[in-house]
Amino acid sequence: MISELQKLEKDALAELSAAEAEDQFLNIRTKYLGRKGLLTGLLRNIAQVSDNEKPLFGKLCNELKNSLNSKIDAALLEQANRNKENILLKEKIDVTLPGNAVKYGHIHPVVQIRREICSVFASFGFSIVEGPEIELDYYNFEALNMPKDHPARDMQDTFYIEDNIVLRTHTSPVQVRIMEKVRPPLRILSPGKVYRRDSDVSHTPMFHQIEGLLVDKGVNFGDLKGILSAFLKKIFGSATTLRFRPSFFPFTEPSAEVDIRCVMCGGKGCRVCGQSGWLEILGSGMVDPAVFQNVNYDPEEYSGFAFGLGLERIAMLKYGISDIRLFFENDIRFLKQF
Amino acid sequence: MLVSLKWLKDYVDIELSAEELAHKLTMAGLEVDEIKKIGPKFSGVVVAKILSVTPHPSADRLSLCDVSDGIETYKIVCGAKNIASGDIVPLARIGAVIPGGYTIKSTVLRGEKSDGMLCSESELEIGDDESGIMHLPADLHLGLPLERALNIEDTVLDVNVTPNRSDCLSMIGIAREVAAITGQKMKLPRIKIKESAEDINSLTSVRIIDADLCARYTARMIKNIKIKESPVWLKARLEAAGLRAINNIVDVTNFVMLEMGQPLHAFDFRFLEEGRIVVRKSKENEEFISLDGKTRTLPANTLLICDGVKPVAIGGIMGGLNSEVKEDTQIVLLESAYFNPSSIRRSARKLAMPTDAAFRFERGIDPEGVTTALNRAAQLMADLSEGSICKNYIDEYPAKIQSAQDIPLRMERVRQFTGTDIRVQDVIRILRGIGMVLKRKGKGVFLVTPPTSRVDISREIDLIEEVIRLYGYDRVPVTLPDVSVTETAPIARLELEEKIRQLLVGSGYTEIVNYSFGSPLAADMLCLPEKDFRRNSVRISNPLGEELSAMRTTMLHGLLETMKRNANNGSFDLKIFEMGRVFLNRKEGELAEERNMMAGLITGEISDTFWNSGKTVDFYFLKGCLENVFNDLKLNNFSYTSEITESFLHPGKSCEIIINKDQIGFLGEIHPDVMEKYDLKNHAYVFEINLDILTTHYIGRKIFYQGISSFPAVTRDVAFVVADTMEADKMLSIIYDQKEDLLENVSIFDVYRGKGVSEGTKSLGLRFSYRASDRTLTDSEASAVHERIVQKVVTLTGAKIRA
Repeated sequence: MISELQKLEKDALAELSAAEAEDQFLNIRTKYLGRKGLLTGLLRNIAQVSDNEKPLFGKLCNELKNSLNSKIDAALLEQANRNKENILLKEKIDVTLPGNAVKYGHIHPVVQIRREICSVFASFGFSIVEGPEIELDYYNFEALNMPKDHPARDMQDTFYIEDNIVLRTHTSPVQVRIMEKVRPPLRILSPGKVYRRDSDVSHTPMFHQIEGLLVDKGVNFGDLKGILSAFLKKIFGSATTLRFRPSFFPFTEPSAEVDIRCVMCGGKGCRVCGQSGWLEILGSGMVDPAVFQNVNYDPEEYSGFAFGLGLERIAMLKYGISDIRLFFENDIRFLKQF
Repeated sequence: MLVSLKWLKDYVDIELSAEELAHKLTMAGLEVDEIKKIGPKFSGVVVAKILSVTPHPSADRLSLCDVSDGIETYKIVCGAKNIASGDIVPLARIGAVIPGGYTIKSTVLRGEKSDGMLCSESELEIGDDESGIMHLPADLHLGLPLERALNIEDTVLDVNVTPNRSDCLSMIGIAREVAAITGQKMKLPRIKIKESAEDINSLTSVRIIDADLCARYTARMIKNIKIKESPVWLKARLEAAGLRAINNIVDVTNFVMLEMGQPLHAFDFRFLEEGRIVVRKSKENEEFISLDGKTRTLPANTLLICDGVKPVAIGGIMGGLNSEVKEDTQIVLLESAYFNPSSIRRSARKLAMPTDAAFRFERGIDPEGVTTALNRAAQLMADLSEGSICKNYIDEYPAKIQSAQDIPLRMERVRQFTGTDIRVQDVIRILRGIGMVLKRKGKGVFLVTPPTSRVDISREIDLIEEVIRLYGYDRVPVTLPDVSVTETAPIARLELEEKIRQLLVGSGYTEIVNYSFGSPLAADMLCLPEKDFRRNSVRISNPLGEELSAMRTTMLHGLLETMKRNANNGSFDLKIFEMGRVFLNRKEGELAEERNMMAGLITGEISDTFWNSGKTVDFYFLKGCLENVFNDLKLNNFSYTSEITESFLHPGKSCEIIINKDQIGFLGEIHPDVMEKYDLKNHAYVFEINLDILTTHYIGRKIFYQGISSFPAVTRDVAFVVADTMEADKMLSIIYDQKEDLLENVSIFDVYRGKGVSEGTKSLGLRFSYRASDRTLTDSEASAVHERIVQKVVTLTGAKIRA
């Protein structure tokens, strides 16, 4: 009987290892362990076993039953896992295809520069102010020490609406309007669109400027250098070399152009800097006493400085753009890059 | 201003290289835009020595020379008489190019071979001597290129003179700056006038009628002149400065203008009727032919220089054709005057004649330099034309120009303003260096008188600028101002704009910036009604072109043009927006009304991922985006009404956007007619919103927390069959108007037309959600409320409930 049991075990294991599908495993279980199964049948014939072998036979039968059961369970589980995986594998997708979100849009590069500059000056305590883009000749020129027929008006070719109304040529008139209303101390920044009658690779009839003004007691030329140096180093990097060079603006005196070492060639001289190694970045100066007098500030008591810069120029330098007109053509292929 | 270094060295010694000088000038406020090298007009000409001279065997006038360039000996046939063995001369070897573009070749002259050419000064255009071969100094190295041996090369600095520095529109002015920067002495030209016995006052007279426009008029007369070409040195000077040489008299006027900054004019005296000068204003529309042959119609109050009868020059701007110096001119009346800067500027602009003379007069010339220039030019004219200068000069100076004098300068102020501790002796040295006269007046105070050429200096601050400019901006220590808190009220709109920008960009919209002006035809292209306020645009009186002449009254035109431009470039899928101002015209003399707007346009496919495309944007896509924006800004009380609509929008797919009864903008599909006018295919959806109004609501908005109920909601779905024209918003407002406390929310889950729903109607599926905050709602409670609401809807709209 024991030898029959051993044969039965061998057969069962052989069948198990040959089986693949779920029903095959279930069939094996029925065939051997079912109510009419072979092992059950063998056990039923225990009477034929000699008495002294009975306990051993019984034990072996039980062991075989348990081991077969657990082997079948394990095989079934493995089988189930394999099936699940197969299903998932069939769902495999091409992960290299581009994602399908609505893509983010892009902020206009000039606006990006404006935000950057405004946030730097906000950290210096400057507040943003605004004024009209269609402006009185008085605010655009006269109050800024540029009377009618002043040759300095040649520096800015002007669009006229009427004799005394112009498209502002700079954001400086805003400072006059603010000073008329607010007593010093003052730290203001006026970003905005300005207009000049000019159109070529480096000029568009409309562009953006930021003008800043600081007025307080005892402000001096060293302070102008300090604030503007700190600003330019934040924008162009702390290693930026800059220089202050005398210049002329009717509403500041002394006036200074601020240049930075050419970001393209590092100062060796290239096409971008016109071989000079320097790039003009902004105009600045101590507010001319005549401007203060126009707004009833006492120039003996207060002093201050103003500065202005063109945003497109900064964007062109930062991004290596050579044609300013690109900013206003709004070609989506251009805008997407920022 | 083009500054020849060679010429400049006539007035000041310069030891610096051109680059160093350019840097120093730039750092003193005279920005050098460009450094140009000017070479000789020949090449391949070298220093050579004549070894022997023998007569030509078959030509008396020629000689045969052996000439050495230090390495080789050349056989040269020469026709000049002034040569001898041992002479050092310029040799143009084979291949050399001499002025006029002639290339030297090997030739045979009367049977003798010549391997080059010995040159005269005039042949090389180095000088005027054409009498014989040029003789060079004996110590020159043989074989040295002649241009180097003679230092013929020149360097020209293009100096950008700012409008305040009229004194630097002259070589002497620049030289004065150079002298101040380098500490060198000035070398001013010596003027020696040899006068004839004949007194100018017996020959002519000057009468100034309008002294307000002409403060000073001086004149000299030069007789017996011979008009000819100017000498090479003079032509070279003018050429380096970018002027064309004409003849000896005209060239001298230009030369002295460049040298001293005083524009001059020479009249041919024989054409001055009554032999006298009258200075007066023009009458309206007087006609005059200027030197350039053009007939000018003069506006009133243009300053005219006249003879006894007629105008002969537009004062300070250009001479007249009727009195110009000609080839046979013998007597010249030379004018040197001071004209009113504003008047010259006005006239030059009105006449569009920005001449070199006008440029200088309008910036202000040295009123006391008028006679110096007169004498300098008279002397040069006499020298170069063999003329004789009449005795005396006329100097009509009815209105003395007051030059600044004794300007107080406080040392304390200098230091305080510049932020330096500059020493007194430095201030004195700097100011004296540019010709200022200083007088001490008490402790730390000077009275400073600038030279009359510095018309830009009249105040203390002007002096401080001079000091700090020449002291060096780079020597000013960098400091930071003390912070005094000066918060100006922030602009709420800017904060709103910034938030909206972020939201739109996050929703896939890209920001654009268009010009604020465009074509006046935009109103027609947008089919704006005759009386639409947006037809009243502000016009630019001097636009760059008709298509850029009208300030925009809506952003729409720019958006559509942008769509067009992108379509032309093959970009058909766009989601774009712009923030900026529109301008509405007011009464003449008043500034425009400026409104801050934002606008957007979408067209084409939703996703720009090509492989997964197919869905195109529609009205609801754009509306959804705006709703998102408003929600995120916590702006409530929005409604959309189709009752008012814009002419440029599709009448069935457009609405006005309203917040708290304020109409803030519109939203919709562009009308097909408008699309056709712009030659655009596809559908485009746009919005435009007034940011100023939106901002007032943004400031006023309040956010209140509402308790969250922990009890479950009961939902009921109902499909109402209503007329096709019934707007969902109407349904919702009927429901909310019931003010049932237990109704938490109603949402639209389905809109259906077609099978099972009769023509002209639609099925609107609404999901009602009921909830109590303090208990679990029973089914019957919810049903009771729900029934009331549904009944009301049916009563008010005639809806049928769809099974």
